[in-house]
Amino acid sequence: MGRTKMDTDHEMTDSPTLTIAGLDEQKSMSLLELNQLIGSLIMTPATQRQWVTAELSDVSPRRNSHCYMELIQKDDGGVQLAKARAVIWGNLYPTLSRKFEAATGQAFATGLKVMVCVSASMHPVYGLSLVITDINPAYTMGDHLRRRREIIARLASEGILECNRSLQLSDVPQRIAVISAPQAAGYGDFVNQILHNPYRLLFKPKLFPATMQGTQTAQSIIRALDEIAAQQDEWDCVVIIRGGGATSDLQGFEDYDLAANICNFPLPVIVGIGHERDTTLLDYVAYKPVKTPTAAAEWLIAVGRSALDRLNERSQRILQIVSERIAAQKEQLSYYSGILPMAPLNASRKHAERLNKAILILTDISGRRIAPAVRALDIAVSNLRTSAQNAVVRQKDRITAKEQLLSALSPQSVLNRGFSITRANGITVTDASALTPGTQIETTLAKGTITSVIN
Amino acid sequence: MEATPVKNLSYKDAMAELEQILAKMQSDNCDIDSLAAYTRRATELITECRSRLTATDEELRTILAQLDK
Repeated sequence: MGRTKMDTDHEMTDSPTLTIAGLDEQKSMSLLELNQLIGSLIMTPATQRQWVTAELSDVSPRRNSHCYMELIQKDDGGVQLAKARAVIWGNLYPTLSRKFEAATGQAFATGLKVMVCVSASMHPVYGLSLVITDINPAYTMGDHLRRRREIIARLASEGILECNRSLQLSDVPQRIAVISAPQAAGYGDFVNQILHNPYRLLFKPKLFPATMQGTQTAQSIIRALDEIAAQQDEWDCVVIIRGGGATSDLQGFEDYDLAANICNFPLPVIVGIGHERDTTLLDYVAYKPVKTPTAAAEWLIAVGRSALDRLNERSQRILQIVSERIAAQKEQLSYYSGILPMAPLNASRKHAERLNKAILILTDISGRRIAPAVRALDIAVSNLRTSAQNAVVRQKDRITAKEQLLSALSPQSVLNRGFSITRANGITVTDASALTPGTQIETTLAKGTITSVIN
Repeated sequence: MEATPVKNLSYKDAMAELEQILAKMQSDNCDIDSLAAYTRRATELITECRSRLTATDEELRTILAQLDK
């Protein structure tokens, strides 16, 4: 270190050979010694455990580690008057941030105005920083948020706070007017991401350059918005993006005119400014606030993808309906062709059945009507037969009686009783005087005949 | 009725017509004859919408080339 200093000194002289001789005379100290000296001067009781008010900036809490930040002070016009590096050691940060959050209802973060107890500390390597050992949560929120709240309240009272948010985003936002710093990494990331999306969604981004930091930010963005508004039919939406950076650089976005412009803008405005942890006024008025330029790209891709999904779902459904309908028709056809050969057979069988039934009915009817008549007839016939037989028997009996009487009266019966019949010349002789001697007579007895001659 | 060529429809109108056709196709009184016509029209609409959403290689190259300028 000392040598470098000497070399520099001797470049101004004409005799470099003398420098070695001068080395002993030149008093110097090492940087370490100097830093230690500064430290000892700074770290006096006056700079230890002092309560100071300041605004937080660039608060970067790390998990299980120290929380680094910057403390800033600005005048009423927003010009920075003072700035110092500060740290809360890791062993204290969880306790302090919890205490602060519990009391104020918000996280210990950039933009807040705080009252902290600090001790100035000079590290030989890391330089001056303020070590925060306590915090007074009663000291309320910082200027940033108070001013932001005032702007939001004004926009609300003017009735325009929700205007951009109430716009209808086109079904698929593909034509995208991008407001960004032209060479910004965030812009490159955004364009790269939407143009190389895995679904091959078509996006047409166009850059409308603007200054995205410093005091010109708001006016520059408003000019870009005006340019887009003049050709609003060409675009589906506006994307305002800026990559991260020191948080104190985001103050340019905390502007009433810019916020009111976005509220009244005819196209939906998507805002992706800063890192994950940053919030700006624009997040409260934009159609869609996202954390980062990358997140803006992801959101647009997601919107496009859901449109693509809807389309694919419809085409699946059509395929399903068509195949179901055709299958149903085929089934019906095959049913018809299946029953076709059977149809005539079934028909004739059905007719035969009907015929049989008719016959049965007919038979039944005839059975019920004719049978009694036939039975009556049968009875009549049988009666007829009986009475005929009876009549015959009766006639027979009568004849038999007559026969018996007749036989009792017959000549044979008389003969049997000992009488005889005398015939002369075949004539019955009933008068003996009528007979002359020599006449041959014939006597009939019951049995046999006697021939005699009259004397 | 002669249908509007799909190229002349806005994406929104194309989607609305697609929904209508789907509803008709799903209704019970959709006969098999209309089914073919509906399917043809729906396919046209879907193809058109999809082609508007997604980029061809050629289109992508053109856009990326413009960015490099």
